[in-house]
Parts: sequence; structure tokens; C-alpha cells
Amino acid sequence: MSPQSMLLPLRLLWRNWRSGEIRILAGALVLAVTVVTCIAVFTNRLETTLVAESHTFLGANRIVRSSQPIPEGWQALADEAGCRTARTTQFASMVFAGERMHLAAVKAVTAGYPLVGHLTISEQPFATDPLQMLEAQTVPAPGEAWADSRLLPLLDIELGETLSVGEKDFTVTRVIIDEPDRGSSFALYGARLLINDSDLAATEVIQPGSRIRYHWMLSGSEIQLQSLLTELKPRLTPHQRVMDVESAQQGLANTLTTARKFLLLSAMIGVLLAGVAISIAARRFAGRHVEQVALMKSLGASGWAVRNIYGIQLVSLGLVTSLAGLVLGHVLQEWIAKALASLYPVELMAGDWTAYGLGLLTGMVCLMCFVVPPLWHLPMVPPIKILRRELEVKGLRFYWQSMLGLLALVFLIALFSQDLWLTASVVSAVVALLTLVALFAFGLLALGRRLGSQVGNIWRLALSGLQRNLRQSIIQMMVFALAVMLLLTLTNLRTNLINDWQLQLPPETPNHFLLNITPAEVADVESMMRSDGLEAKGMYPMVRGRLTHINGEIPSQEIAERAEVLRREANLSWTESLADDNKLVKGVWWDQWFEPGVYGVSVEEEIAGELGLSLGDDLRFSVGGLRLEARVASIRSLKWDSMNPNFYFLFSPGALDSFSPTYLTSVYLPQQDKLFINDLLQQFPSVLVIEMDRVIAQVQSIVTQVSFGVELMLWLVLLGGFLVMWAAVSSSMEARMQEAALLRALGSSRNRLLGSLWIEFSVLGFLSGIMAAVGAEVLILSIQKWVLEMPLQIHWMLMLWGVIASTALIGVMGVISCRRVMTTPPALILRELS
Amino acid sequence: MKTLDTLVARHNNSHNHDSFGIPMLHAQSLCKQVMTAAGELKILENVSLSVAAGDSLAITGASGSGKSTLLGILAGLDQPSSGTMTLHNKELTAMGEEGRARVRADHVGFVFQSFQLLPGLTALENVMMPLELHGRDCARGKAEFFLTRVGLKDRLQHYPQQLSGGEQQRVAIARAFASDPDILFADEPTGNLDSATGAHVIDLLFELNREQGATLVLVTHEQRLAEHCRQRISLEGGKVVERFPMEMACCEAV
Repeated sequence: MSPQSMLLPLRLLWRNWRSGEIRILAGALVLAVTVVTCIAVFTNRLETTLVAESHTFLGANRIVRSSQPIPEGWQALADEAGCRTARTTQFASMVFAGERMHLAAVKAVTAGYPLVGHLTISEQPFATDPLQMLEAQTVPAPGEAWADSRLLPLLDIELGETLSVGEKDFTVTRVIIDEPDRGSSFALYGARLLINDSDLAATEVIQPGSRIRYHWMLSGSEIQLQSLLTELKPRLTPHQRVMDVESAQQGLANTLTTARKFLLLSAMIGVLLAGVAISIAARRFAGRHVEQVALMKSLGASGWAVRNIYGIQLVSLGLVTSLAGLVLGHVLQEWIAKALASLYPVELMAGDWTAYGLGLLTGMVCLMCFVVPPLWHLPMVPPIKILRRELEVKGLRFYWQSMLGLLALVFLIALFSQDLWLTASVVSAVVALLTLVALFAFGLLALGRRLGSQVGNIWRLALSGLQRNLRQSIIQMMVFALAVMLLLTLTNLRTNLINDWQLQLPPETPNHFLLNITPAEVADVESMMRSDGLEAKGMYPMVRGRLTHINGEIPSQEIAERAEVLRREANLSWTESLADDNKLVKGVWWDQWFEPGVYGVSVEEEIAGELGLSLGDDLRFSVGGLRLEARVASIRSLKWDSMNPNFYFLFSPGALDSFSPTYLTSVYLPQQDKLFINDLLQQFPSVLVIEMDRVIAQVQSIVTQVSFGVELMLWLVLLGGFLVMWAAVSSSMEARMQEAALLRALGSSRNRLLGSLWIEFSVLGFLSGIMAAVGAEVLILSIQKWVLEMPLQIHWMLMLWGVIASTALIGVMGVISCRRVMTTPPALILRELS
Repeated sequence: MKTLDTLVARHNNSHNHDSFGIPMLHAQSLCKQVMTAAGELKILENVSLSVAAGDSLAITGASGSGKSTLLGILAGLDQPSSGTMTLHNKELTAMGEEGRARVRADHVGFVFQSFQLLPGLTALENVMMPLELHGRDCARGKAEFFLTRVGLKDRLQHYPQQLSGGEQQRVAIARAFASDPDILFADEPTGNLDSATGAHVIDLLFELNREQGATLVLVTHEQRLAEHCRQRISLEGGKVVERFPMEMACCEAV
């Protein structure tokens, strides 16, 4: 191809741009790529960061958790795979200083700990000033210990003084401000004390039967880790388990999955809207270029030359708009990341290049499936069209174009979501809506015509205008209804989702659990909390027991390997009423449980699955050597991320009365009231405290970040919606302008025309709004039920606002787009349009 | 064919017009019919004509007489249902659309009733367009020259909607001549203009045509305009009902 033949299409493209002919088309293409790039890169960065952050929850990329020491030989396997390792040994032990003592959570660590994330220490107890903190480069030296700040007042010692663990004395040299793998395990009670692994033997606290948790921490590339895990897996005993981020942070993973689904849904809706805008703009472009092509052909351009000219223009347009979309998408997500960084101490990691590839692919697919089909027939326009304007030029049939567009959407949606159910529900909702809208629109417009003949002049003019352009009006209504439906759906889901998250972890979510409160202490603990202005979130009775028999038999080896709950003691409780975050999946609650002489037990859904339990199965527990029998009355699902005390096994009232239960409660403790724990422990030494504040703060911060991203995406998609509506309004602008100019030329007043245009577009908006509101409601309910798994509710206000907003917005857009007809002499408009 | 050539040559010689020696356009028994819901409709019936290089022909007739259809076929924009057509010694009726496009690119210029300027392009760009389309050199220089020649030197950067009807048609004339055509087809060039402006445009068209030595085929319903052309035919119901000068009839006899 000669440079000359390349230049002309580019010049024509530039001239088309300058004359405004391709601006909506280019804008819609840029928008599609921007939305997808922004969302893809942002979610990719967020996920990468959160996964990395979650790894700091573990302190490693993977952990092998074991109740027995990790075999020595495994280190060689890790070395061979190229993985870095560290070991921690955790146990509860009394630490002493003079007369004072405390049941501390002791952790002995080897050099290299933590492998991921940082251990923050200080020489200043309770330090909050970052200048007083530092990241530990090593672990405590032999003979030294690092302790939680609150351990010092508990033992009444200062930094530099000694304490003892078992037979070994340690000098406390630093306080621990933050440790990455504090985790959310219920097994960890008491203030933390960190010592060197080489001192462990000298303490002599580890005896046969001691309850010890051994962690073998691993880090390396995914390939290295996989190669090591392949070697390790056959060697794992039932006491050893490999933990990854998912298993460590199930609640967070759920939030992220939902957020990701929402963002994907936004991206899909963005692309859907942009696709419609692109399609409308391309059809308009094609319509305006039929005569241009006929002219070029009359001047001697061959069909091939025309194809070449438009082909190069389209490819160039696709490249330029995709590039612009990529840059804009990048800038936008960068801006979001910066805005986040200024609000929260989070720095997003770099994104993956494949996310940008997704943006580029979107641009090209949109170009091929939305732009090319309406333009396909241009090279075939006969040159005689230049002399015979009335000659009809047949393009690719409308339904073929629609099918191609639909196929492209299915492809893109499936590509983004990788979720066939989501793809199917969005696509079928769109197709159903469009079909219904077409049918309803036809009927409503016919009805409107009949009503119009009985009302005033302006109304008659407006309604007959809609009737005259029946096909155009129906297509416009389909587009408006689609855009409004998608925007209503997204707005509602965003509001629901954010409310749901905020409800899940409201600002004063309990962040400390108090366990092992004896029945005699309950009243005193509650009154101590009240006097400090703290509120306990319920007192739950609890006994610890081990499940030993199912239907009178010891569970098989296979079940025992699958269900960890068989290998340890579980917390058992009873309750009269079911908490809000528990939901019965099968069976009945106690008010309908009538089996005299048999206690009922309600089992958590996942555990029931692991144990292979069904309703009516008999379970036997061993509680402190005593036997407890109960029959499975119901299976419950639980929201573990609610941070409320929850139990795998809940018994019917009275079942645990003879087992001297202890009580469990949760409380919200602000940072400044942290020392309340010390006071509590001084007064009630046997009470155990689990500190969840760090975990909850982190989850809340992530939820806020994701909510922020969700808000921004909504605005971006709203922009897409406006663009579609503008494109649809513009598509009929010329015909309406011509009619209006003609009416003005025939003496119609400006007010009458303005009123008629206003009514015409408002009626379109109103009818579309009604259909969109109904469509949105159906779509929202199905997405809530099947995709996001949220509770169902009807949204009357949303429907009402949808109709009002749609009427007003489309009315205003219509009048604005045709405003020139009011301010320009009609002769000028007629001449321009002729 | 030989007989025809001889006859045409004899016809041309009979005019004893030095510059009209080579036949530029020759149509023989052109017919055009289309199928409509009401049955077959004959738009052109047995039309023959011949125009020598440098000569001018006016096709007149009332609306619906088939003038524009004939012009479309003569210019190679459309195909007749039967009959033959040669332009610059190339038989258009034996060619496909691509071949005819090549002939149009090399030899043909157009002026249309509705000007057919592209609204997004300036006057200068509109004139440059066909030159750029055919990859000709100095498109800008040539376009500027012809726009100056038609008196629009100060309007180069104006868009069509900023120009009056007469000015737009002058841009179209500049565009037609800028590609140096051997034959110019003008379809009702004054149809959208008032009579004074129309007269100016026609003067300009004939003046440039003389300067460029191009052959001119003009479709008009204005007798006054047709009289500017040396040859004239009048159509009615798709048939030639009148010819001037009369010697042209010899072609029809073949």
C-alpha cells in the first residue's frame, strides 16, 4: 500500500473528527476501553495487593500448620525447591516476674521470621507515634524476649527487666507493636511474648501432651511453592495442614469475591452501554456516509478503494480510541489508587499487563462487532445513488447486526466474569427487556396516538411525531429503557452492597472476645464493663467437647482426615433463639423440635458436609470425660465474617446444664481503652482474651477501599449511560430538526414547538422509565438471589425515581439537542439539512 | 462496428469542426427498464447518440423523461438494460463496476444539481478530495488554483454551509475541473440556483470548459441553458423526440 493511499483515509478521518461526525462514535469506543481498562487494572491491582496483604496475615505465602514438630527432612525439600522457610512454635504458658504472672501466648521463632510483612517493634511501650517504631530486621537474640506492651504492666516490669518462661529467664528488650501473623485464631489467648527458637528447649515447657502449634512458614515464587507442595502433600499426616490466604481469611475472601463480582458487573454494564452507543453512532455514521461513498465512486473510486479508505479509518480509529481508552483507564485507576493512598495507609501494587490487554481486546471487539457491521455495505453503494437519492441502499440486515452485537456482548461478558451464570442472567435480562419493550412500546404509542387526538394541540403534535417515526421511536425507547434499567440496577446494587458491608462490620464491631468466664463471674464481668462504658454483646454459654461417635460409631479414617473438628475439642453452646447471622438450611428450630428425652443439636452447614451428617443422625460428644448425646435437628449456615461469637454445634436448651459451662462474650474496645484488658485480667485471672482488633481494622479498611472503587465505577458507568442516551437522541435529531424547521417555516410558534419537543421526548422518557423500572426490579431480584446471595426486597422508591429521572433527563436531552431549531432561522436549517 | 465508426467519422467530419474529430462518447440503442409492482417500466428506449471530443451536448426534457438516467448511463454510473456505450474508446457496457470506476477516475468530471459537497470538508478540501482519491500530485496547489479561478480565493477555508448556493456550485465546478477531465457531466447545474446566479455559474462552466478543452454533457430542463451547447437532444417518455442539429439522426439509423 502506497503512503499516498494511507494518507487519504487518515486525512478523511481527521476531517471527520474535526467536523464532529465521529465524536460520539469515538467517545463511545474510548469509554468502553476506559471502563474496562480502569476496572480490570484496578481490580487486578487491588487483588494483587490484597493477596500480598493477606500473605502478611500469614507472615508467609503458605504455612504448614501442625500439632507435632515439623520433620527435619522437610527442610532439604524446601531448599531443593528454592523456597525460604522459618519456623514458629506457639503455645500458652504462664510467664512470671517476681510475684506477678500471666498466661501469655508465647511464640518461639527462627531467623528469617516473618517471611512476608514486617514485625514492628519499639522501645516505647504503647507507642503510637511512627517515629518511635521500627521494623525488626532480626528476631530476638537468644536470652532476649520481645513482649506485647500490655504484658509489662501486667507483670509490673519495665523494658530491660527479666521475666521467666518455664526454666529460662529472658530480658525483655523491645515491645511488639504489630506482628503480621497474629491472625484470627481462637486458640491464641493472652499477651504475646516472642523468643528465639534456640531458647525453646531451655524453657522445658514443652512436654509430651502439651498443646503446641507448630508453623512451618514458606515463601517463594508460585512455581517454587507448587513444586515443594507437590512433594509435601503425600507426606502430610492428618495433623498437618497447608494454609493459604483463602483458608486464613475466609471472611475477607468473601467480601472480595462479592466486590469483584460487582465491579465485573459494572464493567459489563459499562461495555453494554458503550456497545449500544457505539452501535447507534456507527449506524448514524454509515447513514451519513452513503452519499459520500456514492460521490467518491462517481469520482472514480473503486469498491476496493472505498473499503480501503473506510478500513484504514476504522482501524486507525480503533487504535487511537483504544490507546486513548488505555491511557485514560490507566490514569483514572492511578487517580483512584492515589486518592485511596491519601485516605488509607495502603499502597496498591503494580497491575498485571494482561489487564491492559483486556481493555485493548474490548476496543477491538467493539470495533469489529458494533462498528463494522453497519458500515459493511458502504463499499457496495452504487455510484448512481449520487443522481438518484431515492434509491434504497440495503445494508446488513438489522437483525444480523443485532445478533453480532449480542454475540460480542456475550463474548465480552463471559470473558470478564468467567461466570456463565452471571453472563446468562445479564444477557437474558437484556434480551427479554428489549423484546418486551418493543411490544409494549408499540402498544403504548398506539394508545398515545388515540389519547393524543383527544387532547390539546401541542400534545397532538408531539404524539403524532412519535407515531410518524414509529420504528425510530421504538428503537429509541429500547435504548433508553436499557440504559435506564442498567443504571438503576447498578445504583441499587451499589447501595445495597455498601450497606451490607457496613452492616457486616459497623464501626463499633466487637473486636475482643472474652472466654472462660465462670458462671459466678458473669455478673461481675458485665458490671465491670458497664462501669468502663463498655457493652458486652451477649453472654454465650460454652463447654469444650470432642465429637467421638456418629450414629453410635467412631467416624471412619476417611471422615477423620477430612474433618478437622474430629481431631480437636470444639466449642459447644446452646441458645433459645437463632442469631441474625445464622440461617436454618434444613430441619427445625427448638420451638418445633418435639422429641421427648432427646436433646437436639444444630450443626453448621460446612461441618455437616465434612462429617456427612443428615437430619436425625445421633452424635456423641465427650465433654471432660462425660458423655453427651444429641440428635441432629437442623443444619445452619453462618456468616463467619460477622465477627460475632458463632458455634459449629448449638444445642437445645438444657443439654449442657450438667457440664458446668463457662461463658463467652464479645466487646468493642477502642484503641485508647486497650488497658481495660489488663484490669480485667488482674481481677479475673482465669478469663481468656482474644484480640481481633487488628484483623477487624484491616477488613474494615479493605471494605472501605472496595466501596470507594465501587462508587467510582458507578459514576463511570453513569457517564456511559448518558452517552448512550445522547447518542440515541442525536440519532433522530436531524429528522426532528427538519420537521421542526418546516413547522416553524409554516408559522408554528417557538413555544408550541418547544412544548411539542419537550412532550415528545418526555413521553419517550416516561414510557422507557416505566419499562426500565420493572426490568431493573426483576434484574436486581435475580442478581440478589442468585449472584450476590443477598436478601430480597422490592424497591418502590427506586422505581419511582427511575421513572421521574428518566422522564426529566430524556426530555431535557431532547430539547437541548434540538435547541438550535429555536434559535436559528428555519431557512438556514432546511438548507443545511437538504 | 466498422460501419458505425465510419458513420460516426462521417458525421463528425460533416460538421467540419477541427477540434471535434475524435469521438469521446458514443451510445447505441440504449434501453433501460426496471420492474415495478405495476409491471415493467421503460425508462429509456432505444437512445443513440455520439459526442465528439471537445463538443458539447445538452439533454433536455421534462421531469421523469429519463434525462438523469441517461446521464448516469453515459457517465458509467449505471448500466443500461441493453445497448452499447463507449467513452474515450472504452466500451463501458462490457465492463464491470471496477472497470467503469477506472474510466471515471481517468476521464470523467461531474457537476451536480445539489452540489454534493461534503459538509465536513472545507471548500479547499472538497476540491482536493478527488485528486487525493486518485493519488495525484500537488492536490492542494491545483485546488487552490481552480478555486481562485472560480473566484473563491477568499473562501478556501469555508465550509459548505458557510457558502451561498452559487458559491457552493462554483466549488463543485472547481472540483470537477481540478482533476482535468476529458469529459464533464453536469446534472441540472443551475437547478438549485436563482436565474442571475445560475447565469453566472453557466458562464463560468462554459468558460472553463473552453479553456480545458473538455467535452461537456449537460442535463437541463432550461431551454436557454441548452442553447449554449452545440448539440441538443430532447427526451420524452424515455425516447429522443428532438435533435439538433438534425444530422445527428444518422446515428439513430444504424
